[in-house]
Amino acid sequence: MHLAPWFWSSFVVLTTWGVVGLLQKLSTNEISAESALIWLVVGFFLVTPVFYPGKVLFSYDWRSLVYVLGSAVLNAVGAWALLAAMKNGGKASIVVPLTALYPLVLLLAAPIILRESISLLQAAGVVSALIAIVLLST
Amino acid sequence: MALGALTLKWFWYSILCILCWGGWTILAKLGSERIPAEAAQFLFAWGMLPVAVVLLASRRFRLEKNAKGIFYSVAGGVLAAIGGWALFAAYRTGGSTSVITVVTAMYPLFSVLLAMLVLRERLTRLHVVGLAFAAGAFVIFAL
Repeated sequence: MHLAPWFWSSFVVLTTWGVVGLLQKLSTNEISAESALIWLVVGFFLVTPVFYPGKVLFSYDWRSLVYVLGSAVLNAVGAWALLAAMKNGGKASIVVPLTALYPLVLLLAAPIILRESISLLQAAGVVSALIAIVLLST
Repeated sequence: MALGALTLKWFWYSILCILCWGGWTILAKLGSERIPAEAAQFLFAWGMLPVAVVLLASRRFRLEKNAKGIFYSVAGGVLAAIGGWALFAAYRTGGSTSVITVVTAMYPLFSVLLAMLVLRERLTRLHVVGLAFAAGAFVIFAL
């Protein structure tokens, strides 16, 4: 079986974020969601020196730097919005599966912004995966 | 979900979350085109910092001192950062962004399995059906 080049990187994402899901549940049993998010960012910074690229960082295309920083802000604001939804009466059993549909935004935008298309077989896989995401997030 | 949900705050916060996380994946893909995964992940932590500071200020710079809760959160942050680096690396391979984003969004698969093993939680029927769909998606993407 030939595995795509992205397979193993994606597998690392799946397993690490899968464990994060469990740790978030354990941490919010002990502390508030806001505190949990703040300490999570502290954890981010513990690993950050490992990724320090050196002075070459400032030689990268500035647009790419803005994209990455913007992606981080959107990620954190999204996490805050999820917490706010729950705080404002949203049931976790509805809010979590609903927000798990975020790949739909990318699926709609990819042909326009990224000029990417997917095959029919990949589309079938995407639909299957989206159903799995919603069901597993309940 | 009834139409009445459209008037509820939590619904619109959820939509904001979907839009933000959708935007996050698009910008992460665009950013990873010209920056190595390590450098992108280094910058990513700094991008999260302002939001953490705003949350800290909203709590008047007071945090709970529960060692267990702090440990779980910090450990979660370390693993989330490693996962974030791997996501940038996956985007840089040139594979379909849609496929990579959907596959990596299936991470609750591992959370559910771990909750079963560690917390002794039982799988619901919906989880079992979800696992079957996830397995189907993996087989399709491996073809």
